Amino acid sequence: MAMEETSNPVVQGEAMISLRDLRVSYGEREILHGISLDVMRGETMVILGGSGSGKSTLLRTLVGLEKPSSGEIWLKGQNIAAISDAEMDEIRKKIGMSFQGGALFGSMTVGENVALPLREHTKLEDSTIEIIVRLKLDQVGLAGFENYMPSQLSGGMKKRAAVARALAMDPEILFFDEPSAGLDPIIAAGVDELILDLKKAFHMTVVVVTHELASAFLIADRMVLIDKGYIVALGTPEEMRKSTHPRVRQFFDRIAEPAVSEELDYLQMLTEDNRPKRVAAGKRGA
Amino acid sequence: MELATQIGGAVTDGLAYLGALATLGGRAAYFTFIAPLQGKPLRLQRAVSQAMQVGVGALPILSLITFFIGLILALQAAYELRKFGALNYVASAVAISMTRELGPLITAIVVIGRSGSAFAAEIGTMKVTEEIDALETMAINPIHFLVTPKFLAMIVMLPCLTIWANFMGVLGGSLFGVAQANFVFTGYIRASLDALFLRDIVTGLIKSFMFGITITAVGCHEGLSTGAGAEQVGRSTTRAVVVSIFLVILVDLVFTTLFFFVSGA
Amino acid sequence: MKIAARHLDKITIFDVSGDIDLANSPELRKGLLRELRELRTPRVILNMTAVRYIDSSGVASLVEGLKASRDVGARFILFGLNTTVREVLQLSKLVKIFEIHETEAQAVAP
Repeated sequence: MAMEETSNPVVQGEAMISLRDLRVSYGEREILHGISLDVMRGETMVILGGSGSGKSTLLRTLVGLEKPSSGEIWLKGQNIAAISDAEMDEIRKKIGMSFQGGALFGSMTVGENVALPLREHTKLEDSTIEIIVRLKLDQVGLAGFENYMPSQLSGGMKKRAAVARALAMDPEILFFDEPSAGLDPIIAAGVDELILDLKKAFHMTVVVVTHELASAFLIADRMVLIDKGYIVALGTPEEMRKSTHPRVRQFFDRIAEPAVSEELDYLQMLTEDNRPKRVAAGKRGA
Repeated sequence: MELATQIGGAVTDGLAYLGALATLGGRAAYFTFIAPLQGKPLRLQRAVSQAMQVGVGALPILSLITFFIGLILALQAAYELRKFGALNYVASAVAISMTRELGPLITAIVVIGRSGSAFAAEIGTMKVTEEIDALETMAINPIHFLVTPKFLAMIVMLPCLTIWANFMGVLGGSLFGVAQANFVFTGYIRASLDALFLRDIVTGLIKSFMFGITITAVGCHEGLSTGAGAEQVGRSTTRAVVVSIFLVILVDLVFTTLFFFVSGA
Repeated sequence: MKIAARHLDKITIFDVSGDIDLANSPELRKGLLRELRELRTPRVILNMTAVRYIDSSGVASLVEGLKASRDVGARFILFGLNTTVREVLQLSKLVKIFEIHETEAQAVAP
């Protein structure tokens, strides 16, 4: 089922994830303003963007941690914006998510962390689960670490352990939030290698949120650049590299963005009264 | 007008907070009593380890505190009683105030300090490190996984601790009784038991059961509503303690009033 | 998944078909362990010709079967693996650990 990458994948293959005019708001502030995007089966999609671009919100919405205010999210043929919690849980058993800091449970060993979804959701015997745990830890290069506590692992190892946990249920889609954040370049490259290996081995659909360009160009089949809650550009790494779009160039060439571009904005920024609204929106929540 | 709006706002916030606590308690109750019938097993093992932390861990400090409280009660009661030459009533005064009021209350306050704060810190830290999110993406309900065992542990352990606290209070009182009020030890204990009606013990235990629910709900709610950043965990923990103490006193007041009128004393 | 057992002289062949996944790998595991540990069949063969897919729990169950066969000194043989199944075993570095044959004739041959 391996997919050939293509510059126009919408016509080829089966969409694993489809977003249609997705909008997400925190209180009264809209973060994502109508995102439409398809991720094909077996594809690695990298979501790029600066901090505050809305890329993390997009990822959180994809795994059901945030509810969209409008729009559709089709995951494995179901619109998760409009299904019950029980139905969402069934979908979640088939997706894996690797969090930025690993999010391993500190009170459990690495092995227990990986075993947790299996213990919770399957009727497998302990001995079977133990073998699966060792298989998964071996796949991420952590064979023999099942009895370590997460606090005894380095940053890179924590991420690998988190990936092993995400793999426990043989997911069809794997989500990564900033896989290289907080890692030194060599360790980060190791995590990139891991993502490539997993994708090659299991033909998994992978969605990665990152702001690391080197990593993005290495692992992506296609990439999408998000800025201020809008999709700015979408394409293969090659297409993105050649893009002349000013925002794309700015992001790729790492041109520092002036905090406020126009003089008028600057005056407004200095004098605008924006205090009471935010507090009210956060607290009472309409 | 400004003041009225502020008071209105505060009342609304307060009611919303109580509503959130009730929702949390309700969902925990669902996972305790109803979900097991639908094939989602109860996490007894986690509940038992929580119960050990909440209960057994609190025993030394609780014993010491309630022993002192019993002694203080005896001294305070004796101050008044000796004017009437009624020092032999010290035993009943201590026994009744411990079982009806101070046993449950002091236990609750010790448990708030040890466990209510720990719940908020534990869950708050898990919130900050995205472990709660991780549970959700693994289709594991955080309420079921984290909160329910804590409720179970609390509603079992708090009444147990309260009974122990009552006993230690009486023991503290007996120190004074034996030393200053011409009691022999067994006589003091018998006088304490004679003074108590079953009603006194049961109302105390009902209160401690309600305190257990309150402390867990507040601790877990504060933990779950922790914002981003490590300093937020500290805030949640502090809030959990302050709000718990306030609500425990409030619950105490409500139930004491209720018992007062129901028993028609 | 469906399992059917055929018994030859001192050989049991399980014909498995469909997908081996979380829902049914416990059944496969139970069958294998019973055959090896309790019935002490000296050679247990798994016909995987009709298996389309195997997940980690299935692989783990096979590993348990293999372990049990080593413990009791029996032979545990797989045959008829399609490319998907073979790939999964390859990724788990298990292809060289299992005794794998192409055909049933090879598997039952002494």
